[in-house]
Amino acid sequence: MLEVKSLSKHFGGVQAVRELDLAVNAGDIFGVIGPNGSGKSTLVNLISGVFPATTGEIHFQGQSLSNLSPHARVRAGVARTFQNIRLFPGLTVWQNLWVARNSTEDTRAEGISFRWFRKSGPVKNEIDAMLEFSGLADKGDELASNLAFGEQRRLELARAAATKPRLLLLDEPAAGMNQEEVRDLGRRIRELRQQGMTIILIEHVMELVMGITDRIVVLNFGSKIAEGEPAAIRKDKSVQEAYLGQSEDG
Amino acid sequence: MDDFWFEFVEVTQSIGDGVLFGSTYALIGIGFTLIFGAMGKLNVAYAAAAMAGAYSSLAIYILFDAPLVVIFIVSAICAAILGYLVYLTCFRFIPVHNHLAALMASVGGLFFIDEVIVHATRGSPLAFPSMFSEAYFEVGPYGIRGDLLFVFFIGLISTGVLLYVLFRTRLGLATRAVAQQDVAARLCGMSIHLTNSTTFAVAGLLGGIAGAMTAAAVGILSPVMILPLTIKGLIVTVIGGLGSIPGAIIAGLFVGGFENVVMYFRGIDERDMYVVALLFIFLVFRPNGLFGKTITRD
Repeated sequence: MLEVKSLSKHFGGVQAVRELDLAVNAGDIFGVIGPNGSGKSTLVNLISGVFPATTGEIHFQGQSLSNLSPHARVRAGVARTFQNIRLFPGLTVWQNLWVARNSTEDTRAEGISFRWFRKSGPVKNEIDAMLEFSGLADKGDELASNLAFGEQRRLELARAAATKPRLLLLDEPAAGMNQEEVRDLGRRIRELRQQGMTIILIEHVMELVMGITDRIVVLNFGSKIAEGEPAAIRKDKSVQEAYLGQSEDG
Repeated sequence: MDDFWFEFVEVTQSIGDGVLFGSTYALIGIGFTLIFGAMGKLNVAYAAAAMAGAYSSLAIYILFDAPLVVIFIVSAICAAILGYLVYLTCFRFIPVHNHLAALMASVGGLFFIDEVIVHATRGSPLAFPSMFSEAYFEVGPYGIRGDLLFVFFIGLISTGVLLYVLFRTRLGLATRAVAQQDVAARLCGMSIHLTNSTTFAVAGLLGGIAGAMTAAAVGILSPVMILPLTIKGLIVTVIGGLGSIPGAIIAGLFVGGFENVVMYFRGIDERDMYVVALLFIFLVFRPNGLFGKTITRD
């Protein structure tokens, strides 16, 4: 479904990602791990189009993403969440989902049209279901900025899912969560997969990555050092070395 | 005591007239603030495009002998088109983070539009049809000019429609989403260029109405009105708080009342001096304006 071919990204003299090859199968939960600065977030930014690659190709469902702007990639079916939460703080929870839901709906509108905002109509059930899914059913009319941290994380996941992506990129969704919240998150990610989404999960929280992924890629200094099933990765010598070089689990 | 009473009525009358006229400043301020909210940039050419809209509508009114009621609509449409052109020429292709280049480009836009108007009219003022100028209402000791009331009324309706669009339509919510968190908005499928150009066009609509309102209230259109309107619009935007629509409304009415009462005491030639002094007072004591937040962007 997603194919990354010899992808590189330089920031000045720094090589954040170098000659990376990846293939993600449809329906997988695909983990990307690695020490800090190994290029994981850069990879998400390259796939979602926040900045262009220096060299290399990204193909999604046979289509090259390289020349597509970020919003066009969303419309092509690639959505993401952010490591540092980026909600629309002045919109309500309901509106956050509503604008995201509608921006991929109408092929001509690209987020612009005079469709009236109503908390009814054809999308109401869909959004109510999303609120239910995120455990925010009673928070629909709250401003996003008034939500607690964990709720903001859940809303961001729901908002990304609201664009109805085929591929969902999650950039450290468990950062700052306690164990129970992490388990909750794992359950939600599995549910999204069941709805037909392929998921790329970038994460430091090993419990989550090892628990729900089908395959894992390990990055270090922008290159792939290992790839395989969670059990194999856990035993991999080069992975252990890469992480031992770090002072903490990150 | 009678002298005091007379003076009191005169002063409050001039404040009231000023507040009614201030609705034009409020609209111009809303336009500046909308664009600032969406892009974090000032479009200095905005008020010039607004006046150019009024000029275009006057031209159409004269050339086609159009009915008077269309003059506001035509002005709004022309200014919206101009607003979009200003976006294309001064903002669209300039790198997002180069704020100075965009500012200078829009200053260039201001002078370009000004020059075109001066050239087309040989710099001389043109009569602009005012509406309801013969109407006059007496309320107790006060008199309300029909044309000012009409201008205020138009301003009120335009603001109401704008707020409705911003808060109750997909266009408005998308625009606010882009203004609040542009990175996430793009990655939720919204095109920044499309929302930005729509914002410029919508701000242009308001500007065109404000331009025609100003001309209708004064009774003439002249190139010398462009710079003061630009400066007052910017002052209103700063006093209201950059990016705040309620701020722009209140500041616009306030500046209108303030300048009129200054004019009552000090005469028209000192008026604008005091308005600018007001700006400095705000910049020193309340630099974020009435409703402004400290703006942080990442």
